[in-house]
Amino acid sequence: MKNEIAKANVSWLAVMIMLFGLLLLASHSNELLKQTVIGPGSSADLGMAADCRADELEEEQLSLEECQLMVSNVRIILSSSPRWYRSYQLTLSSLGVAATLFSLVIAFGLINRQSPALRLAILSTALLLIIDVAGFVAAVNTGPLLRAQYLWSLLLWICIHLCMLVAVIRFGQQGDMDS
Amino acid sequence: MSETRNPAKPESENLPRLVVLLHWLLAASVFFLFVSSWWMLSLPLPSEEFTYRELPFQLHKNIGITLFVAVITMTAMRVRSLLREASSSQGWLQRLAVADHILLYTLLMVCCLSGYMSSSYSGWTTTVWWLVDIPAWSAENDDLNILFSEAHLWSCWVLLGLLLLHIGAAIYHGIGNDGAIDKIFRLR
Repeated sequence: MKNEIAKANVSWLAVMIMLFGLLLLASHSNELLKQTVIGPGSSADLGMAADCRADELEEEQLSLEECQLMVSNVRIILSSSPRWYRSYQLTLSSLGVAATLFSLVIAFGLINRQSPALRLAILSTALLLIIDVAGFVAAVNTGPLLRAQYLWSLLLWICIHLCMLVAVIRFGQQGDMDS
Repeated sequence: MSETRNPAKPESENLPRLVVLLHWLLAASVFFLFVSSWWMLSLPLPSEEFTYRELPFQLHKNIGITLFVAVITMTAMRVRSLLREASSSQGWLQRLAVADHILLYTLLMVCCLSGYMSSSYSGWTTTVWWLVDIPAWSAENDDLNILFSEAHLWSCWVLLGLLLLHIGAAIYHGIGNDGAIDKIFRLR
């Protein structure tokens, strides 16, 4: 009975690691794409006016004001980012993608009952938490416009990974006691 | 952890390794496509000066085309077992699970095809992974572009709803530890 509960816990944990892992993978990959596309010295940074053709506006179902604000949106990111921020985010997102892929492999290990998987799950979840905190600290040191974009979602990820870390540690302790 | 299983539970039929790998590849791709598309549509409209959308849109199309091939492969591999499950399913939960899978595969195909058709009628070229040019379906046509764009948008929203149902079911089976989850994690 006790063994069944432990197995159910591990199955549930693997599903959670997989679900949040896939969401985080999408989030880090998108951040990587974002930082690649929006760089200093690009058209929006040079103050060029938006090109809002009527046919494009109709196609995209946008108002003229929205079209102009899309350029401002890019300028917000560029003017609110300190010089170091882009390279920092590119590195952190790449690390995030690698750490998330690692955690997905661990989820497979948990279901396949591989013995070091729980210990590795502690390591991978702790790594994800550290990356979240590093992202949060960096965002705190940017301008208020970027802080408004990043801080809330990063805080949410910190809480999710903290819950997962505590769960993995607790299940690990139960597993040690059972064996 | 022990290797023994509860004898009262039926041993799950293992899925082919390729189906397991394709399932997770599809899951990662679909999440990325949703997240990146919400962001990329906030980028400035394309023009000679503003080329911000170029890379994200090409990437979106490349992943979409790859995903379409993956869904076709997966459907071909699973169609017999799904039909068998559909004919033998008894409880409403089982019937819902089969319907969810069939609808998911269908909607994934509809999303990919409507996206390709919309892109085709938009006048923009598609080069798969920057290597192979995909011929456009027809010449530029704004009305058809808008029509297929709407179909793409709405089919994706329905897909997201079904995905949430699918995730809810995965959590249900994970907590129940009934062996259903193990099938999609087994690489043996």
